[in-house]
Amino acid sequence: MDFALSEDQEMLKTMARDFLEKECPEAVVRQIETDERGYSPELWRQIAELGWLGISIPEEYGGTGGDAVDLMVIHEEMGRALFPSPHLSTVVLCGHTILEAGSDEQKKELLPKIVNGELILAMALTEPESSWDGKAWDPEGVTVRAVPDGDDYIIDGIKLFVHDAHIADYLLCAARTRDDGPSEEGITLFLVDAKSPGISYELLDTLANRNKQCEVVFDKVKVPKQNIVGELNDGWAPLFKSVKTGAVLLCAQMVGAGQRIEELTVDYAKTRIQFDMPIGINQHVQEHCVQLVIRQDACRYATQYAAWALGQPGQDMEVAMAKAWCSEAFEHICWRAHQVFAGVGTMAVLHIMPLYTRRGIVMENYLGDTPFWLEKVALELEKLPPHMKTKGKPLGLWDPQRKQVPVWEIWREYAESL
Amino acid sequence: MEFGFSEEQQKLMAEMRDFCINELPEDYDPEYTGRFQEAETQEFWKQFHQKGVQKGWPTAGWPKKYGGMGFSAMEQAAISSEMSYWGARWGGIMAMTLVAPTVLTSGTEEQREKWIPPIARGEITAFECFTEPDAGSDEANVQLRAVPDGDEYVLNGQKTFISGGTKPDWLYTLCKTADVTPKHRGLSIFMVPGDAPGVSYRPLPTMGGSQQNEIFYDNVRVPKENLLGELNRGFYLAMTTFEFERAAGGGLGARRSMEKIMEYARQEKRNGKPLYQDSKARDMLARMAIHKHLEFLFGWYTAWHRSQRERLGPQHYNSGTLWHRLWQTFDGEKMGQVFGMYTQLRQKSKYARYNGRPGRTWEYMHAIHAAGSPEIRRVVIADRGLGLPRIPRQFNVQINEALKQV
Repeated sequence: MDFALSEDQEMLKTMARDFLEKECPEAVVRQIETDERGYSPELWRQIAELGWLGISIPEEYGGTGGDAVDLMVIHEEMGRALFPSPHLSTVVLCGHTILEAGSDEQKKELLPKIVNGELILAMALTEPESSWDGKAWDPEGVTVRAVPDGDDYIIDGIKLFVHDAHIADYLLCAARTRDDGPSEEGITLFLVDAKSPGISYELLDTLANRNKQCEVVFDKVKVPKQNIVGELNDGWAPLFKSVKTGAVLLCAQMVGAGQRIEELTVDYAKTRIQFDMPIGINQHVQEHCVQLVIRQDACRYATQYAAWALGQPGQDMEVAMAKAWCSEAFEHICWRAHQVFAGVGTMAVLHIMPLYTRRGIVMENYLGDTPFWLEKVALELEKLPPHMKTKGKPLGLWDPQRKQVPVWEIWREYAESL
Repeated sequence: MEFGFSEEQQKLMAEMRDFCINELPEDYDPEYTGRFQEAETQEFWKQFHQKGVQKGWPTAGWPKKYGGMGFSAMEQAAISSEMSYWGARWGGIMAMTLVAPTVLTSGTEEQREKWIPPIARGEITAFECFTEPDAGSDEANVQLRAVPDGDEYVLNGQKTFISGGTKPDWLYTLCKTADVTPKHRGLSIFMVPGDAPGVSYRPLPTMGGSQQNEIFYDNVRVPKENLLGELNRGFYLAMTTFEFERAAGGGLGARRSMEKIMEYARQEKRNGKPLYQDSKARDMLARMAIHKHLEFLFGWYTAWHRSQRERLGPQHYNSGTLWHRLWQTFDGEKMGQVFGMYTQLRQKSKYARYNGRPGRTWEYMHAIHAAGSPEIRRVVIADRGLGLPRIPRQFNVQINEALKQV
């Protein structure tokens, strides 16, 4: 049991914070917000040079072979700085899936390019109708069909809330290829050239302008058979594994953002003067600060545990707990901060809180919201083993059949005995 | 970063597990016991303690010189974590966790020789006598006086809301020994024999059926050797005690209660299906499991932090227990919504569900306020953890006077 980061991870953290504070201050974040691409190619190149794109990719593909905790460190800092980039889509949701399920050729072809920053990938999974029905992240939610046609497959349908699709070189599209049998055994992953004829994109008008999400329409899009990632009908397991990792990294982003919110809020409570006193002297304001801080601490521990648990067998419950908890807690953290900042915290241009709060809406819902992950927790709870039994000589004190003396009689006897 | 247990910790926990499986009665169920039965089980825990002594476990964290094993906070936490899974505890628990650390850190050599061995054997019971009618959250406002008289001190005053079932061997008493400002520099701690002439008790039952006491001190004479630590430094000792008390928490007990409640949710049916498939119950169970997981992490964070440094920041030792207490009521409320009118039924009713546990959460509310209510903990976190400003104490009297004029 050790809550500390390793020396290398501490270095990575310091480096990431310094880099982002220098290269991605609030002004840059706001500028990228207005850019239709939603990211800065220049910064993307720089983080590729820093090795952030290969941090979790094995050395044979040009990466540095780190684990989820290393990724967590980077994403925490990205969340703190509100860093806009397709890192999660490219490296984790698509890159990790290719690493998990792809053929040797695919891995050799794609992963080094991901590491170098030459490719941007986007995961096309969620769909309009099934998302509305609450099945966005369930295998049942995949209804877009891919039908074989000679050496190709034809994909036809709409994918919604696809992050970074408009800037991607490839889409990793989950499509249904079999209708009978369990729904998770009929999903195939296709690597679709984003410029294929028949694909069209429309940017969605979302609260957080900087997180570009798209409606992607596949109108009879032809994909060659060799572009299947993994086995036919077997795409769900590797994809969901990446979704799990991604969910924990969203938690990390929320932890990073929450940490900054905590600092700003407590600092404001100490320095804002009203009635000739700092507002933080009022216990109502202190209450907001403390409730914020203990939730922030909880988010941190839950996320750290989950990032560690991703590399361990049989820890699905703790991973699910992290996203279920953080999604709700981050909303609460933002609300508490807004209560302390009051009016000024709602100023879209003057203040940084609106950026965090709107970003929060994205992070809470992306890759599974609280109800989704609560259900996963409940599924794991069903598997909990029964309580182990003790074997010592029975005392007979806890036998329900035993006549029990009413509490008040015991009191009276006790009082009389004194 | 590593959240698994080390090999030594695992070995220790496995030994502890075997010990608990074999020594705890097969009908023992910590979830279903009422505290009022404490008196009946005291003898059992004393024997349990003495068997543990052979392994050195109860005092594992103590210095070797005093019968300990010099374990780190993490190893000690591994033992108590496993114990909390089984709902086991050592005999004379208050003396073990509160008196012993203070005597070890601040007592004289004679005091250590006098109290440490019997405490280590689990033979001593003690009450922590801090709270008074006018010294609740404002602990420094203690009015119970200790006046020197020859080789003795004479104690006069009253303590209240003192937890504990039967008459203890010792009263760990915070007394006023000097009229100074600030008040907390005029307090001292005395070990008072539980049956000293002049000490009298009045039981105060709580709504949960557990026992608290009012204790009256009427010209109680205590020898000077019973002063713990330095004169007028008692408040700092009390704070050390609080630190031990507040920092305790976490452990695998949380896992046990989840296993128990799932066992129940599998047996119980609603609408012809197991209870855990009911959407309301499902939501409650998942949230409860998350709160308990976080409680576990907070507890281990405290232990880890302690093993890294000598003292904890106020934020750390407070937030763990604050956490536990905030959710205790929340989970109770959720459970109430699942159990509906059955929440009202006590264990003994033939219609009681889950042994009357849902309602008990509310009855045990007193536990939320022991060693500092959540509100005072939040003030401590705000003030000493986050450095938020507060009204300087010297103005409190003036403010109070001004309010009387309004």
